[in-house]
Amino acid sequence: MYLGIDVGGTHTDAVVVDRRKVRAFSKVVTDHDNLLVSVRAAMEDVLSQVKKDRVERIALSTTLSTNAIVEHKTEEAGVLVSAGPGIDPENYHIGRGYAVIDGSLDHRGFEVKELNRKELQNAAQMFRELGMRVHAAVGKFSVRNPAHEIAMKSAVEADSDHVTMGHRISGMLNFPRRIATAYYNAAVWRLYNKFADAIAQSVDEYGLEASIHVLKADGGTMPLARSRQFPVESILSGPAASVMGIVALCEIHEDALIMDIGGTTTDIAVFAGGAPVLEPRGIEVGSYPTLVRALKTRSIGIGGDSVIKITRTGQVRVGPEREGPSMAQGGEAPTLIDAMNFLKLADFRDRHASARGIERLARLWDMYPDKLARQAVDFAVRSIVDECRDMVDMLNERPVYTIYELLQGRQIEPKKAYVMGGPAAAFQPILKEALDMRVELPPDFQVANAIGAALTRTTAELELFADTEKELLHVPALSIEHPIPRGYSQDAAEDDLRKLMAAYLDELGLPGTREYKDEVEIVESNAFNMVDLFGGAFRNIRVKAQLRPGILD
Amino acid sequence: MLEAKNSLGVIFFPAFDWAIEPTHPEREERLLYTQDQLREEGLFDIEGITEYKPEVATRRDVERVHFCLPSVETVATKSHMISAGGAIRAARLVMEKEADRAFALVRPPGHHAMKIVEGNRGFCNINIEAVMIEWIRENFGQKRVAIIDTDCHHGDGTQDVYWHDRNTLFISLHQDGRTIYPGSGFPDELGGPNALGKTLNVPLPPRTADEGFLYVMDELVLPVLEDFKPDIIINSAGQDNHFTDPITNMNFSAQGYAALNERLKPDIAVLEGGYAIQGALPYVNLGICLAMAGVDYSKVYEPDYHPEKVRQDVRSMDTIKRICEDVRNRYFNPPSTPTDGDVNGQWFTRMKDVFYDTDGIRESQVESVVICPDCSGAVKTEVWSTSNPLSLCVEIPMDACDKCASLGRRAIEEGHTKGNYRIVQAINRKDKEYTQFGF
Repeated sequence: MYLGIDVGGTHTDAVVVDRRKVRAFSKVVTDHDNLLVSVRAAMEDVLSQVKKDRVERIALSTTLSTNAIVEHKTEEAGVLVSAGPGIDPENYHIGRGYAVIDGSLDHRGFEVKELNRKELQNAAQMFRELGMRVHAAVGKFSVRNPAHEIAMKSAVEADSDHVTMGHRISGMLNFPRRIATAYYNAAVWRLYNKFADAIAQSVDEYGLEASIHVLKADGGTMPLARSRQFPVESILSGPAASVMGIVALCEIHEDALIMDIGGTTTDIAVFAGGAPVLEPRGIEVGSYPTLVRALKTRSIGIGGDSVIKITRTGQVRVGPEREGPSMAQGGEAPTLIDAMNFLKLADFRDRHASARGIERLARLWDMYPDKLARQAVDFAVRSIVDECRDMVDMLNERPVYTIYELLQGRQIEPKKAYVMGGPAAAFQPILKEALDMRVELPPDFQVANAIGAALTRTTAELELFADTEKELLHVPALSIEHPIPRGYSQDAAEDDLRKLMAAYLDELGLPGTREYKDEVEIVESNAFNMVDLFGGAFRNIRVKAQLRPGILD
Repeated sequence: MLEAKNSLGVIFFPAFDWAIEPTHPEREERLLYTQDQLREEGLFDIEGITEYKPEVATRRDVERVHFCLPSVETVATKSHMISAGGAIRAARLVMEKEADRAFALVRPPGHHAMKIVEGNRGFCNINIEAVMIEWIRENFGQKRVAIIDTDCHHGDGTQDVYWHDRNTLFISLHQDGRTIYPGSGFPDELGGPNALGKTLNVPLPPRTADEGFLYVMDELVLPVLEDFKPDIIINSAGQDNHFTDPITNMNFSAQGYAALNERLKPDIAVLEGGYAIQGALPYVNLGICLAMAGVDYSKVYEPDYHPEKVRQDVRSMDTIKRICEDVRNRYFNPPSTPTDGDVNGQWFTRMKDVFYDTDGIRESQVESVVICPDCSGAVKTEVWSTSNPLSLCVEIPMDACDKCASLGRRAIEEGHTKGNYRIVQAINRKDKEYTQFGF
């Protein structure tokens, strides 16, 4: 049995799932000042409904890191940056302790300029004076050669409780994002680890012998131990939980749209050939783009509680603001759900209150109330549909880099949609008509997010770079550097990366070599000839492997 | 967060699966490190800088520009059509006002491809800028276009395509043709009889550095542009003037390229050559992108850049000043007739020999243009080569007057009736008719 917990903005949901059947379910109000209380309450409730010694795995999504970042309640982290030529690294200045150290590497990882030791010592001194106890060390092109980050780490290690090194976060290139990601990782490290301690302790107290996993934004989980090193990966995992919930509840094999219509927003995700589409670069957090891998989701400010507004020219609009609950729930201003109540599309709480609100607003603008309500619903549906279409177009417009991909490029053409969330049932027939496609309402759609948390499998991603001129192979995320022979080939690189991934999963305490070995897929693989001025030909090999998002049986 | 002053669309298409040969300078690796650099710098996270994928140019897009012998399909592969399509995408972004400016970072390049094409010259098969410009004119009307070619090699292909076009100003800055391929591009090459002075060539002495290039911009290019008043400025952005380029001998730097771009303010830039793929292209391309977007580029320099080592000597500067003065005079006071041919009635005729270095084709042409005060003039060319027998190519320009249009049509008819041509091909821009007879 799997236990899933989703800490949401309003509610904390917990489910226990056994062979894809929901055995127990609980919903408690989230206490934002003490998430642990909500987690424990929900957990306790579901555990009382099942035989708890049969729970073998616990997975939770938490807004802890996200909230800390958004509410500026993070710890101050000292940031060491080595950049070299390019865009001025001062543009990425973050926090009070930000020091640019002279020194640089080039795109192949060759050292162009040594790190300036004096500047490094001065920076360490500055962090000491500022009383900083967590640090981030980030170098440009560190994923091609981590030497500078390692040197920067050792300069502050003695005064530090934790140092995040940029190259360990992701093998992807993007220096500004690496800075922001490493900074946030260090800044939430202590807070997150306290929470992780408490969770581990609670699980112990309940006498559970279950492995603990934490949800990531890419639709996968990571073991608790890894999350302690990389807490930033737990941010914004909420939408991923609901998307994975849909995957668990429905068998999706084709291109599809997922719409999660909530009170305030509608989140949209896209599936290509049955797999959720990932954000190619990484998610944005607190207005900083990061390297945190995530499912591609879009959020628009339209939900059941979005307020209805009329413009000066008499146009009916819905959202993006929310002014308290709907009138059906005792609110002050009519909302989208009130309009649906009025039109008998929904039957939610106090329909008379909804009608009063719509009629009052209509009188104010000298409109027919049913016309006003109809226009409000139309506007909401049109906005959702437009956003879906726009998102699919954007995905199909994504750059590609080879002739083969450009000419053979597979286009995403959703023929089916899945809709979930509070007002989902009311929206289903309207969306079916507007989208002109089948729209399915999954069973248990109200708890899809917690089910998603319960059943989401581990994801992992590794990148390998090999340079036969340097006779070296790198796997930055694991800090691996191996010698290779001159004749090292692309095939050998793919094989090596598969093996490394399996071993890495084993190390995380997962059945990597035993179960996941065959599911590791090579998602990118390139080899380029490098020719030097003397006619020598070498190979620059780049391979990326992943264990893609999936559901436990 | 950084923000672009001018929104910039970048069409990045490295064609990672195409090369002339595995070890040829124009190979898959060429834009690899540029991609690494742009990604690592987070260029596309800058607000206002967006990456787009290319379109695929159609046969019609090419037929509007080139006489391809024997056909478009035989001279242009898919990769060329995508490269040209990348340039078209850049133009579309700007013309449809989706971006203030656009940079097509695509390969293979195109500026050595001439009006008539039988194969590959200087790594080029079809002229991607010309295909782009004529696409613009087809969709947005006859525009006055200025092309500033900053590739180290003379843009002889683009020069040839626009030799007779009075609405296109072509200025090529390049290493002196006496020291480098293709060996042309001297100040006396000024265009055909109807477009004299609309082609300008600035041969620069080897080892010209930032100072020299920027002098030419300030003292020649910008004043000429001021006078010509183009609707669109295009930078044929070859980057092989770089001090580390393996096949040239110039001393231009990333800072210099960016500064040049800041002054020129091109609406569209299209990548041409540039073969220092590790030491130069990543930095130069980054510098150009930032300069076009109006973002600070002051910290973009090459790892091995030492200004004092690449400074040009005083004598070079004297030469450059002299050349600028000369070319300036030729633009503002062009001669009345060209000196490279003969007048035969209302036609002006010149002979040309073209060598396709990559494909080893030798070609000869007899080119005649109607001398016309009112338009760019109809052009007919007899061409024969080691690859194709005697053929006739006739072009009626977009701005053709009635007389030139009818002379052009008559030339096409005569080509058929006189009959000893293997192929008779016509580009009739006025009536949008593109025909080919023969096999």
